[in-house]
Amino acid sequence: MSQILKFYLNGNPVQVAAGDADTLLDVLREGLGFTSPKCGCNHGDCGACTVILNGYSVKSCTVLALTAEGKNVCTVDGLADGDKLHPVQRAFHEYGAPQCGYCTPGMVMAAVSFLNRNPSPTEDEVKEALSGNLCRCGGYKKYVQAVMATARGEFGPLPEGSVGNV
Amino acid sequence: MREYEYHAPQSFESLFRLASADGVEVRFLAGGTDLMPRISAERNQIPYDKKPRMRIVYLGALGLDNVTEEGERITIGACCTLSSLLENEVVKTKLPVLRDALAEMAGVSIRNTATIGGNIMNASPAADSVPPLLALDAECTLRSASGERRVFLSEYFTGPGKTVAKPDEVLVSIAVKPGRGGSSFKKLGRRKAETLSMVNAAAYLELRDGICESIRVAVGSAAPTVVRCIDVEQALVGKKINEEVVREASLLVTKAISPIDDIRSSAWYRVRVAPTVVARAVLTAAERKRG
Repeated sequence: MSQILKFYLNGNPVQVAAGDADTLLDVLREGLGFTSPKCGCNHGDCGACTVILNGYSVKSCTVLALTAEGKNVCTVDGLADGDKLHPVQRAFHEYGAPQCGYCTPGMVMAAVSFLNRNPSPTEDEVKEALSGNLCRCGGYKKYVQAVMATARGEFGPLPEGSVGNV
Repeated sequence: MREYEYHAPQSFESLFRLASADGVEVRFLAGGTDLMPRISAERNQIPYDKKPRMRIVYLGALGLDNVTEEGERITIGACCTLSSLLENEVVKTKLPVLRDALAEMAGVSIRNTATIGGNIMNASPAADSVPPLLALDAECTLRSASGERRVFLSEYFTGPGKTVAKPDEVLVSIAVKPGRGGSSFKKLGRRKAETLSMVNAAAYLELRDGICESIRVAVGSAAPTVVRCIDVEQALVGKKINEEVVREASLLVTKAISPIDDIRSSAWYRVRVAPTVVARAVLTAAERKRG
């Protein structure tokens, strides 16, 4: 069976048919064509499907789509302001953090949600915050460096009231 | 493939109407971090097993996400997310043993979704929230169409994945009394964060002049359910607490456990490491009590 699901995706209202047992990841990728969240393990382990739901990072493969009714969902697609990348995106770019890039959208969303909550973290806190996002290239060090650089303000202030922290 | 139907009841009345259906498998959904991967795996499995239709009943619209304090009793709503509890002032200041465990459970994004009630109802022997709650002698409240009943957590689990809750009963809250003692939770996993416990343990103890007056110790991931370590407790009551006494008493944890080999660890290792994890929990609890 399926039902009509209405929610806000990157600030825009969307409507989509969602199967009763579909995950939010299924609906984002297959129903709406937003393929930035990746289906790595489909088991809540790898973090490649991380999106921000009502201001909190979640693994979208563990969220039943229909529970997102009326909520705000933000994917990496919604972070940039026109051509202006979000500071975390710029940091990942400048630091050359992504290698194959598969884990990157999830890594960005986990980092954005974390920095919204803890704008001046220690390195250990950053490592803990990204621990749920696996990078099989092993590029953890640069991700952590990039998040620390963002926190130091190297890439400008974190946008307030952006879709990421609704 | 079996069929699924999703409902998000806004009241307990409609919830219990949905829960008492014949010919369907009713599953309550809180955060979904355990249930959804299981459903997705089942849907991707070939050949499909013939199974009855699954009715997924979402509990998130029932307002079970508050922490309330009444006298000494702290009541935690079953649908509180682990993150919300970590940020909660009452939990932070009055339930350090639970806070310890929450901070080490999974990672941030799972904690943002997963609920404490879900962790209990999933009834994993490795559930990290359970040893702290057992050490605090928590009481669960189950609600069904015919009313509410309270069950001590120590009598709640009947096996891996199994509890005393009947199919039409919903866990609505967990209540604890923080007490005047010290408490602590320790976990040993394969890595520091986002890991499942090979062995975990929690301790609550009350001291007077360095003498242990009362103690509760629970150990997880080492038996079909999380268990209380009565032998360790009895060996410590009335004793002056120091490292040597605690280390020796903690060896008795092997009487309470019956670990298995699984993907996380071996039974051999668990038997050898459980006393150390228990001793760490007890010693930290004592340390905190002394301040």
